[in-house]
Amino acid sequence: MTVLLEGAGLGKSYGGVHAVDDVSLRLSAGEVLGLIGPNGAGKTTLVDLLDGAQPADSGTLSIRGRRLTGPPSRRARAGLARTFQHPHLALDLTVRENVLLGAAAPKLAGVGGLLGGLVAGAFRPSGSRFDGTLHRVAEALDLGDLRRRCGDLTLGEQRLVEVARALAQEPSVLLLDEPFAGADAAGIAAISAAVRAVREQGCGIILVDHNVDIVASLVDRIMLLRFGSVVFDGDPAECMASPEMQDVYFGTGGERVVP
Amino acid sequence: MSAVTARKSSGALGWARSAETGRILGTLALTLGVIAWAGADLFRQDLALLGATYALLALGMYLPFNLAGALSLAYSAYVAIGGYAVGLVATKTGWPLPLAYLLGAVASAALAVLLGFATRRLSGFYLAAVTLLFGVAFQSFLLDAKDITGGALGIGSIRPLTLFGSELDRRTFIALTLLAVWIVAVAVDRVRRSPFGVALQSSRDVPAAVEAAGVGVPAMRLTVLGAGAAIASLGGGLFTTANQTIGPDTFTLHLVMLAIFMPLLGGQGSAWGAVLGAVLVVELTFNLQIFERSGSLIFGVAVLAVLLIAPGGILGFAGQATRWLRGRLARGKGAQEKGARP
Repeated sequence: MTVLLEGAGLGKSYGGVHAVDDVSLRLSAGEVLGLIGPNGAGKTTLVDLLDGAQPADSGTLSIRGRRLTGPPSRRARAGLARTFQHPHLALDLTVRENVLLGAAAPKLAGVGGLLGGLVAGAFRPSGSRFDGTLHRVAEALDLGDLRRRCGDLTLGEQRLVEVARALAQEPSVLLLDEPFAGADAAGIAAISAAVRAVREQGCGIILVDHNVDIVASLVDRIMLLRFGSVVFDGDPAECMASPEMQDVYFGTGGERVVP
Repeated sequence: MSAVTARKSSGALGWARSAETGRILGTLALTLGVIAWAGADLFRQDLALLGATYALLALGMYLPFNLAGALSLAYSAYVAIGGYAVGLVATKTGWPLPLAYLLGAVASAALAVLLGFATRRLSGFYLAAVTLLFGVAFQSFLLDAKDITGGALGIGSIRPLTLFGSELDRRTFIALTLLAVWIVAVAVDRVRRSPFGVALQSSRDVPAAVEAAGVGVPAMRLTVLGAGAAIASLGGGLFTTANQTIGPDTFTLHLVMLAIFMPLLGGQGSAWGAVLGAVLVVELTFNLQIFERSGSLIFGVAVLAVLLIAPGGILGFAGQATRWLRGRLARGKGAQEKGARP
C-alpha cells in the first residue's frame, strides 16, 4: 500500500501542557485510521496539526512523499480535507452554496485564481460547472433539498453538509473530527457509507470519535491517545481487548487520575 | 429521493436564471427612468450625480464589508484619489480622461491592499483603525501638498470627457455615469452569488472552514479590499469629471460614515440594497428642505429604525412581504380549487 500521509515527531504544547507529545503516524491509501481517546487526549489538536489550523512546535509532515507545510488552504490544495468538531457552516447560505465552497475552492486558489473568480463571477455567477460534483456528493449523503438555509438545519443535518463539503474537495486524505456527534441513525449510516465509498477509491481517512463502537466497525487500524501520546496503535479488535484500552476507558489501572 | 432533489434544484436554477433576467432588465428600466427624470434640470442632475457617486461608494464598501466582514474606513481617500486622478490627468497631461479612471482605480486598489496587508495578521479592529487614521492623514496631505493637489483651492477647470472625438455635455455624461452604476451593481450582485462570492460570505462567518477548503482567506480579503477601493475611486472620478473641479473638502470622512450605513438601510442581502441606500441618503440629506441641517440626524434615526424593524433592510423587508403575499395567494387559490371540486 502506498503511504499517503506520514507524520514524525509531531508535538504541540500550551504552556507546560503537552497537548500532543511526539506523535508519529502513517496513513496508507484506502486505509481508515481511528483516533480515539478520552477528552483532552489531544485528538483534535493532532487533527489541527495535520491540517495546519495550528502550527506544530516540532515534527515533520509529508503527503505522498512531499513536505506538507503552511496554512490550511495550501494543505487543502495538496489533497487534505477536514471537518470540524463543531460544524463550521455559513448559516446564512444554502446547503448547495456550502457544498459548492468545497468544490470551487481549488479554482479560487492564489492571487490569479481569486482575481479570476472575481471577474468570472460577474459573467457566470451560477457556479453550475460544479453541479456534477455537487449532485454526486449530495446523492451520496442524501442531503435532501439543496436550497435550504443551513441555519434551519438540525445539528445532524449540518454534520452531513460539512462532510459533503469535505468530500466535494475530492481529497486524497480526509480528516473527520467527530462526524457522528449529533447525527441521527440515518445520518450515521450515510456518513459511514460515504467513508467506505471514498476508501474504496483510495482515499486515506482519519476518523476521530468518542463512539468506540462506530469507530471499531469502520476502521482498519486504531490509534489510542492519552495525554497527547500514542498508547496503542494497531488492530481494532486487539485494541478493544488491550490493557491500555481498559486502563484509559475504565481506569482499571487506577494509578493515574484524569484531571 | 436524491435524483428527485437533483431534478428539483436544476429546475430551481432555471427559475433563478429567469428571475435574474427580470432583475437585470428591471433595474435597467429604473436606471433609464432616473436618467429621464433628471433630464435637463440642473438640480435633478446634481441629485442624480450625487446618488450615483454614493452608490459606487456604497458598492465599493459592500464587497469587502457586507460580504466579507472586512471594514476599511479609508473610503474618503479612495474616492478622493479617483477625483484627483481626473484633476491631475486633465490639467497636467493631454491623456484621455478614461485613463485617469483606470489610474485612480489602480492607485486606490494598491493603497487598500497595502493597508490591508499591513494589518492582515491582526483582528478586523486594526484594519478599521489604521484605515481611519489614513483617511484623516490623507485629508491633511491634500491640504499640504500644494504643488500636486493645489492645496485648499484644489484643482479647477477640469476639461470634460471626450468620447469619439466629441465633448460630452453634462446631461449625457451623467446619463453615462448612471449606466456605469447599473453595470457595476449588476456585476457586484453576480459576484455575490458566484462561487467566489460564496467563499467570500463564508469567510465572514467561518474563515477556518474556507481556509480548510483551500482558499487563502487573507489573500481573498485583500482582493476584495482592492476591488472595493477601485469601485469607490471610479465614483470619485466620475463625480469630479461632471463637476469639473475637486478640492480637499469634496470628499470628507463624513462620507465614510454615510457609506457604512447605506447597504444596511437598503438591505445587505443584495448589491442593489447598497444602491437603494445611497439613493435614500441623497434624498434624506439633500432633498428634504425642512430637514436641511438635520439630514444626517434623520438618516441616523432612519437607519436605527430600519435595523430594529427590518434587520434585512428595505429590500429584505420587501422580499419577505412578497413571499408572504405569494404564500397567501397560493393558499387562497388552493382553497378555491378544493372548493370547486365536486
